[in-house]
Amino acid sequence: MRMLPVLSRLAWRYLWRNHRRTLVMLSAISIGAWAMIFMTALTRGMVDQMVSDGISVLPGHVQLHNPDYLDDPSITNRVNLTDAELESRFADAGFAAWASRVRVPAVITSERESRGVTLLGIDPVAERDFSFVDYAEVEGRFLESAADNGVVIGAKLADTLETEVGKRIVLMSQDPDNEIADRGFRVVGLFHADMETYEETYAFIGKEAAQKMLRIGNTTTEVVFFGDDYRNVEPTYEKVIAEVDDSVRVSRWTEVDTYLGTMLGVMDGFVLIWFVVIFLALSFGLVNTLVMAVFERVREIGLMLALGMKPASILGQIILESMMLLSVGLLIGDTLAWLTVKPLESGIDISVVAEGMEMFGASSMLYPKLYMGDVVLSNVVVLVLGFLASLSPAWRASRYEPVEAITKV
Amino acid sequence: MMTAVRCVDICKTYRQGDQDIKALDHLSIDIEKGEFVCLMSPSGGGKTTLLNAIGGLDIPDSGEVWVAGQRIDEMSKGQLADLRLANVGFVFQAYNLIPVLTARENVEFVMQVQGVPANERSEKSLAILEEVGLKGLEDRRPAEMSGGQQQRVAVARAIVSRPELVLADEPTANLDSKTSGELMELFTELNEHHDTTFVIATHDQRVQRYAKRLVRMRDGRIVDDVEQHAA
Amino acid sequence: MNIVLRLAWRNLWRHARRTWLTIGAMVFSNTLLVFMISFQFSMYGLMIDNTLQVFSGHMQVQAPGYKDDQKMRQVVPDVQSLANQLRGELGIETVAARGWSFGLASSEERSYGIGIYGVEPAFEVNVSNIPGLIKDGQYFESTDALEIVIGTMLARNLRVGVGDELTLLGSGLDGSFAAAVVTIVGIFDSGVKEIDRNIAEMPLGAFQEVFYMNGAGHQVVILAPTLDDAPAVHQQVAAALPEGLVVHDWDALQPGLKQAIQADISSAFFMYGILVILVAFSVLNTQLMSVLERTHEFGVVMALGMKPGRLGRLVMLETTMMGLIGFILGAAAGALLTYWFSVNGLSYPGMEEMAANFNLPGRVYPQVSWLRTAFGPAVVFLFTLLAAVYPAWRLRRLHPVEAMRTL
Repeated sequence: MRMLPVLSRLAWRYLWRNHRRTLVMLSAISIGAWAMIFMTALTRGMVDQMVSDGISVLPGHVQLHNPDYLDDPSITNRVNLTDAELESRFADAGFAAWASRVRVPAVITSERESRGVTLLGIDPVAERDFSFVDYAEVEGRFLESAADNGVVIGAKLADTLETEVGKRIVLMSQDPDNEIADRGFRVVGLFHADMETYEETYAFIGKEAAQKMLRIGNTTTEVVFFGDDYRNVEPTYEKVIAEVDDSVRVSRWTEVDTYLGTMLGVMDGFVLIWFVVIFLALSFGLVNTLVMAVFERVREIGLMLALGMKPASILGQIILESMMLLSVGLLIGDTLAWLTVKPLESGIDISVVAEGMEMFGASSMLYPKLYMGDVVLSNVVVLVLGFLASLSPAWRASRYEPVEAITKV
Repeated sequence: MMTAVRCVDICKTYRQGDQDIKALDHLSIDIEKGEFVCLMSPSGGGKTTLLNAIGGLDIPDSGEVWVAGQRIDEMSKGQLADLRLANVGFVFQAYNLIPVLTARENVEFVMQVQGVPANERSEKSLAILEEVGLKGLEDRRPAEMSGGQQQRVAVARAIVSRPELVLADEPTANLDSKTSGELMELFTELNEHHDTTFVIATHDQRVQRYAKRLVRMRDGRIVDDVEQHAA
Repeated sequence: MNIVLRLAWRNLWRHARRTWLTIGAMVFSNTLLVFMISFQFSMYGLMIDNTLQVFSGHMQVQAPGYKDDQKMRQVVPDVQSLANQLRGELGIETVAARGWSFGLASSEERSYGIGIYGVEPAFEVNVSNIPGLIKDGQYFESTDALEIVIGTMLARNLRVGVGDELTLLGSGLDGSFAAAVVTIVGIFDSGVKEIDRNIAEMPLGAFQEVFYMNGAGHQVVILAPTLDDAPAVHQQVAAALPEGLVVHDWDALQPGLKQAIQADISSAFFMYGILVILVAFSVLNTQLMSVLERTHEFGVVMALGMKPGRLGRLVMLETTMMGLIGFILGAAAGALLTYWFSVNGLSYPGMEEMAANFNLPGRVYPQVSWLRTAFGPAVVFLFTLLAAVYPAWRLRRLHPVEAMRTL
């Protein structure tokens, strides 16, 4: 490819020969590239947030339950491993985080109102890293240990119940014998969550308090495990499976919340389609530009062929021109995208459509996220498709007969 | 003396509209190395077609064409391109230069395609530009030069790689008398210095005076072929 | 005028490939726009109708503050009479009264906290899908019977079936203890998880007895004949209401719905905007080139006496023609594409699960409409014209002699 320097020089200079046209094309490509990346950053940010919010209440990348629990989520279907057994099996397995907890439906009653909630008996220390509650942001305080005797509810629920920190509420649920199990608790903290529904639905008590109230000894209803990447839970899944037998059921989060799992896949597909659509819209202009550029150059192409340049070199020259145009456009677009996304990464406030976002499962703050993979993909798509699009005009250019070309008026 | 060009009974017919035009009609000609030949004919007489045939740009429908001892009428396009690259220098009437390259780059262009190393290219191109009287204008683009200067650059490019043959098609058509004269002086000098064969197609009377051999054509045939002494 | 049209038309086709490529950009975008917009808005219409018809109706009469606080004591007094009165004044039957309370439902084996609605059996079916979605058993008929219908998920969680009994425990309106034993006569599958899991319905009369409502309730649900009629109906209801009650529209009752649609529209329009801009650039490029390469020719024509303004109009005319072709072809292609899907339905992998979240079927049949078909292409056409303004304007600065000097 010793012709490369010559062809590159020719390609570059021809690009700027008609600088107005090149500038128009560059603008279009830049805008296209910017739009590709910007939109994707917004979408990724939203989905990431959705998934991490969703997983945070599921919770867990991998979950362990009694095989009957998923069909009948009641206290009778507990995990038949005690906390001690769980500790011995999983403490050293190298999970990013794991915990066992008690989850039951319950009724919470204040002086004024009653509501249905999902009661979670947890070990707050073990759950600190993955809880959707920011312990530091709790009004009052969060639970301090598994033996804590207080209850922490959502701020919105406290409103509805007309209660507050320091007051008492009663939690009522069922024990394994179908007897009512109830106890009074003092509200020690109110939490805020991204999604308002979480504030209305969840109530936290210490795991030991839950076990005592429900008379289940030292068993629990679920064990949750976290790896490093929610997109790839296989390693975590393998580690859990290795330590258990058929007496428990192990599920990946994508099996438990199919909406979120599907959402991820759909988003990936959506991103790629968006890239291709943008490129197609650009491609008409791109091919047109090349065709026009070649047309203007017919005589010079004829000259080069007459002087002994091979047709393949002509082809190469046109393709180089196209690739240079695209590359510069992409560079500008990438830079623009980075410049516009970075400042917004601290969050865009879309609380004006907060409840709508909750319908999607998203929160009212949008955190765009620039993924290198997306940037690379968008650039690759443009360059590869651009290469393909320029083949036709380049091919035609290389097919010119020098004599005809030179004599074209 | 070696034969630089040999055409044996070549024919070429074009279709124009609904007419068949015989551009070359059973034409034969021999040109020796080092000759300075002028092809003359009225417009459409076939001189350009002959030139293109000799240069390997346009293969005749029948007959043989030999250039530098090789038979070219049966070569493939790729081989013809190689032939042109190595053996023939072209000077066209117009559009001789690549507008986005400087004078020097235009001259170096053929050498680059040939694969000549950079420092050799540079040396040779500067030398040849000086020889044609364009020292100091090496880095100008065609648009920044006069018609005469552009043609000189074209000539420089045509001869820089020492081709066997230089073919010029109406090289003076767009030039004024003074510049035409200067260009022809240059051709003559190069022909005598470097022993390059020149074949010039023209209907410019001024050019004729410089030719050592005049070949008149009409309707694709040679009607006159005389040696003469340059003025 | 005729010759100018002919001239413009022929100018377009001097470089057929270039013109077709530019039109191609327009057709591509227009087809996409028409299809996407039709699909989107069909979906929104579906979403709204489906969601509202399940349970919440187009509007509800409530006590002030009830919408946000949902407190037992925020009642609509004499709710059945009010419902009757509204039926009379509006002349429609799609009006139904309801009461609501939170309570604990216990079966033999399980207990769950749920929302219990008291409904008018004769009229509830006019405002809600649920009576029609009974899978097992049947809806109740009498307004006083101690019967109940629950969702499939609740039935499963309580481990009960038709014929089993449930014990209801809660607080009455006056704060006193409320309890009753009810028989399950039907199990419904609404398709909405929240409803199937958390809601039960019983006859309003029985409800009012059990919870000591004294003839009061919490909502009067009203369904207008179509979504478009809702505002008019709203006016009538508002006029007919007694003091101390308010009527809320669906976007106040289900703010999420409208907002979700708004958010979706915003993001979609961002994308459409980009497409339109890219097409505009394409046109700009083409027309710019088309003008520049005719510089010599224009110079000649101007030397002969034509004013630059007319040349500018010529360019705009050419652009308009090209734009119209793009508009018509693109709109037609888009409409055809949409029509094909309106017959065959559109579904993509993953859509079923996502759709369930929004009360949408797993297969959507987008509807073709004049407005939705014309809107996108019209915007593209507008931007096409705008894009040609710069090249046309440049012609004003053309000097004949200079122009003719260009090769």
